[in-house]
Amino acid sequence: MKNRLKVLRAERDWTQARLAAGLDVSRQTVNAIETGKYDPSLPLAFKIARLFEQPIEAIFFDGAAEEPAP
Amino acid sequence: MTETTSDSLFMRCGDSKRDIQNALRAAGAILAWAICFAGSSQLLKREMVPEGAMQLVVAAIPSLFGIFVLIAYGRLLRESDELQRLVQLQALAIAFGGTFLAVSTYAILERLGAPRADLADAITVMAVLYAVGSVIGWRRFS
Repeated sequence: MKNRLKVLRAERDWTQARLAAGLDVSRQTVNAIETGKYDPSLPLAFKIARLFEQPIEAIFFDGAAEEPAP
Repeated sequence: MTETTSDSLFMRCGDSKRDIQNALRAAGAILAWAICFAGSSQLLKREMVPEGAMQLVVAAIPSLFGIFVLIAYGRLLRESDELQRLVQLQALAIAFGGTFLAVSTYAILERLGAPRADLADAITVMAVLYAVGSVIGWRRFS
Protein backbone atom coordinates (compact mmCIF):
# COMPACT_ATOMS: atom_id res chain seq x y z
CA MET A 1 0.00 0.00 0.00
CA LYS A 2 1.27 3.48 -0.87
CA ASN A 3 0.40 6.76 0.78
CA ARG A 4 0.69 10.55 0.48
CA LEU A 5 1.60 11.08 4.10
CA LYS A 6 4.95 12.69 3.39
CA VAL A 7 3.42 15.10 0.87
CA LEU A 8 0.55 16.06 3.17
CA ARG A 9 2.95 16.56 6.05
CA ALA A 10 5.26 18.71 3.94
CA GLU A 11 2.30 20.84 2.79
CA ARG A 12 1.60 21.67 6.42
CA ASP A 13 5.28 22.10 7.21
CA TRP A 14 5.04 19.53 9.98
CA THR A 15 7.96 17.48 11.22
CA GLN A 16 7.62 13.74 11.68
CA ALA A 17 7.78 14.35 15.44
CA ARG A 18 4.89 16.85 15.23
CA LEU A 19 2.79 14.40 13.24
CA ALA A 20 3.72 11.55 15.59
CA ALA A 21 2.59 13.63 18.57
CA GLY A 22 -0.73 14.36 16.85
CA LEU A 23 -1.28 10.67 16.20
CA ASP A 24 0.06 9.49 19.58
CA VAL A 25 2.59 7.19 17.94
CA SER A 26 6.40 7.22 17.82
CA ARG A 27 8.29 9.14 15.14
CA GLN A 28 9.69 5.82 13.95
CA THR A 29 6.15 4.65 13.22
CA VAL A 30 5.45 7.77 11.14
CA ASN A 31 8.72 7.24 9.27
CA ALA A 32 7.92 3.55 8.64
CA ILE A 33 4.47 4.46 7.26
CA GLU A 34 5.87 7.23 5.04
CA THR A 35 8.53 4.97 3.57
CA GLY A 36 5.95 2.23 2.95
CA LYS A 37 7.67 -0.23 5.28
CA TYR A 38 4.66 -0.48 7.53
CA ASP A 39 0.95 -0.35 6.74
CA PRO A 40 -1.02 1.21 9.60
CA SER A 41 -4.02 -0.48 11.17
CA LEU A 42 -7.47 0.75 10.12
CA PRO A 43 -7.99 2.73 13.37
CA LEU A 44 -4.63 4.51 12.86
CA ALA A 45 -5.44 5.14 9.18
CA PHE A 46 -8.73 6.76 10.25
CA LYS A 47 -6.87 8.84 12.80
CA ILE A 48 -4.46 10.03 10.10
CA ALA A 49 -7.38 10.86 7.81
CA ARG A 50 -9.08 12.86 10.56
CA LEU A 51 -5.89 14.75 11.36
CA PHE A 52 -5.41 15.77 7.72
CA GLU A 53 -9.19 16.25 7.25
CA GLN A 54 -9.19 14.06 4.16
CA PRO A 55 -10.88 10.77 3.28
CA ILE A 56 -8.72 7.69 3.79
CA GLU A 57 -8.68 6.91 0.06
CA ALA A 58 -7.13 10.33 -0.60
CA ILE A 59 -4.18 9.40 1.59
CA PHE A 60 -3.76 5.63 1.18
CA PHE A 61 -4.04 3.81 -2.11
CA ASP A 62 -3.22 0.49 -3.69
CA GLY A 63 0.35 0.33 -5.01
CA ALA A 64 -0.88 -0.84 -8.42
CA ALA A 65 -3.43 1.98 -8.69
CA GLU A 66 -2.73 5.54 -9.72
CA GLU A 67 -2.04 8.10 -7.01
CA PRO A 68 -5.21 10.06 -6.21
CA ALA A 69 -5.30 13.71 -7.17
CA PRO A 70 -4.60 16.04 -4.23
CA MET B 1 11.29 18.11 7.17
CA THR B 2 12.51 14.56 6.87
CA GLU B 3 14.45 13.41 9.91
CA THR B 4 17.36 11.07 9.75
CA THR B 5 16.75 7.42 10.54
CA SER B 6 20.17 6.95 12.07
CA ASP B 7 18.95 7.22 15.67
CA SER B 8 20.45 5.00 18.31
CA LEU B 9 18.85 1.62 18.87
CA PHE B 10 17.51 2.86 22.18
CA MET B 11 15.70 5.76 20.54
CA ARG B 12 14.17 3.39 18.03
CA CYS B 13 12.19 1.88 20.89
CA GLY B 14 10.13 5.08 20.81
CA ASP B 15 11.08 8.71 21.21
CA SER B 16 8.38 10.25 23.36
CA LYS B 17 9.04 11.01 27.02
CA ARG B 18 6.62 8.22 27.94
CA ASP B 19 8.38 5.68 25.69
CA ILE B 20 11.78 6.56 27.12
CA GLN B 21 10.49 6.34 30.70
CA ASN B 22 8.89 2.96 30.01
CA ALA B 23 12.05 1.65 28.33
CA LEU B 24 14.22 2.88 31.22
CA ARG B 25 11.84 1.36 33.76
CA ALA B 26 11.86 -2.02 32.01
CA ALA B 27 15.64 -1.93 31.50
CA GLY B 28 16.17 -1.01 35.16
CA ALA B 29 13.92 -3.83 36.33
CA ILE B 30 15.71 -6.33 34.06
CA LEU B 31 19.11 -5.14 35.30
CA ALA B 32 18.00 -5.41 38.94
CA TRP B 33 16.65 -8.91 38.29
CA ALA B 34 19.86 -10.00 36.53
CA ILE B 35 22.07 -8.70 39.38
CA CYS B 36 19.81 -10.31 41.96
CA PHE B 37 19.67 -13.59 40.03
CA ALA B 38 23.45 -13.74 39.68
CA GLY B 39 23.95 -12.73 43.32
CA SER B 40 21.50 -15.30 44.69
CA SER B 41 22.96 -18.03 42.46
CA GLN B 42 26.50 -17.30 43.65
CA LEU B 43 25.51 -17.08 47.32
CA LEU B 44 23.74 -20.44 47.17
CA LYS B 45 26.41 -22.06 44.99
CA ARG B 46 29.21 -21.04 47.37
CA GLU B 47 27.11 -22.12 50.36
CA MET B 48 27.37 -18.68 51.91
CA VAL B 49 23.79 -18.78 53.19
CA PRO B 50 22.95 -20.75 56.33
CA GLU B 51 20.77 -23.78 55.69
CA GLY B 52 17.06 -23.53 56.29
CA ALA B 53 14.51 -20.80 55.65
CA MET B 54 17.20 -18.23 54.80
CA GLN B 55 18.16 -20.23 51.70
CA LEU B 56 14.55 -20.17 50.53
CA VAL B 57 14.39 -16.41 51.04
CA VAL B 58 17.61 -15.87 49.02
CA ALA B 59 16.29 -18.19 46.30
CA ALA B 60 12.95 -16.34 46.17
CA ILE B 61 14.31 -12.77 45.98
CA PRO B 62 15.02 -12.90 42.19
CA SER B 63 11.38 -13.92 41.65
CA LEU B 64 10.27 -10.71 43.35
CA PHE B 65 12.37 -8.70 40.91
CA GLY B 66 11.03 -10.93 38.13
CA ILE B 67 7.52 -9.73 39.00
CA PHE B 68 8.75 -6.12 38.72
CA VAL B 69 10.14 -6.98 35.26
CA LEU B 70 6.77 -8.40 34.17
CA ILE B 71 4.91 -5.32 35.45
CA ALA B 72 7.35 -2.90 33.77
CA TYR B 73 7.36 -4.85 30.49
CA GLY B 74 3.55 -5.13 30.55
CA ARG B 75 3.29 -1.37 30.95
CA LEU B 76 5.79 -0.82 28.14
CA LEU B 77 3.67 -3.01 25.84
CA ARG B 78 0.38 -1.38 26.88
CA GLU B 79 1.67 2.12 26.25
CA SER B 80 3.56 1.32 23.03
CA ASP B 81 2.12 2.15 19.63
CA GLU B 82 1.11 -0.56 17.16
CA LEU B 83 4.46 -0.77 15.33
CA GLN B 84 6.40 -1.02 18.59
CA ARG B 85 4.07 -3.82 19.69
CA LEU B 86 4.61 -5.64 16.40
CA VAL B 87 8.40 -5.43 16.83
CA GLN B 88 8.10 -6.66 20.42
CA LEU B 89 5.86 -9.54 19.33
CA GLN B 90 8.33 -10.59 16.64
CA ALA B 91 11.25 -10.36 19.09
CA LEU B 92 9.37 -12.49 21.62
CA ALA B 93 8.45 -15.01 18.91
CA ILE B 94 12.09 -15.30 17.82
CA ALA B 95 13.23 -15.61 21.46
CA PHE B 96 10.63 -18.23 22.38
CA GLY B 97 10.88 -20.21 19.14
CA GLY B 98 14.67 -20.11 19.06
CA THR B 99 14.99 -21.14 22.71
CA PHE B 100 12.51 -23.98 22.24
CA LEU B 101 14.52 -25.19 19.25
CA ALA B 102 17.85 -24.86 21.07
CA VAL B 103 16.65 -26.58 24.25
CA SER B 104 14.96 -29.45 22.44
CA THR B 105 17.98 -29.99 20.18
CA TYR B 106 20.41 -29.87 23.10
CA ALA B 107 18.26 -32.36 25.05
CA ILE B 108 18.93 -34.88 22.29
CA LEU B 109 22.64 -33.99 22.21
CA GLU B 110 22.82 -34.58 26.00
CA ARG B 111 21.70 -38.15 25.39
CA LEU B 112 24.60 -38.48 22.98
CA GLY B 113 27.06 -37.39 25.66
CA ALA B 114 27.09 -33.59 25.50
CA PRO B 115 27.76 -31.89 28.86
CA ARG B 116 24.66 -31.27 30.92
CA ALA B 117 23.26 -27.76 30.36
CA ASP B 118 21.99 -25.47 33.10
CA LEU B 119 18.58 -23.78 33.02
CA ALA B 120 20.44 -20.45 33.21
CA ASP B 121 21.94 -21.25 29.78
CA ALA B 122 18.43 -21.38 28.31
CA ILE B 123 17.64 -18.00 29.90
CA THR B 124 20.80 -16.55 28.35
CA VAL B 125 19.88 -17.96 24.92
CA MET B 126 16.41 -16.46 25.26
CA ALA B 127 17.76 -13.03 26.25
CA VAL B 128 20.25 -12.99 23.37
CA LEU B 129 17.59 -14.06 20.85
CA TYR B 130 15.21 -11.40 22.17
CA ALA B 131 17.88 -8.73 21.66
CA VAL B 132 18.63 -10.05 18.16
CA GLY B 133 14.91 -10.13 17.35
CA SER B 134 14.50 -6.52 18.50
CA VAL B 135 17.39 -5.35 16.33
CA ILE B 136 16.04 -7.24 13.30
CA GLY B 137 12.59 -5.73 13.88
CA TRP B 138 13.79 -2.13 14.09
CA ARG B 139 16.14 -2.52 11.14
CA ARG B 140 13.24 -3.88 9.12
CA PHE B 141 11.01 -0.88 9.81
CA SER B 142 13.56 1.95 9.85
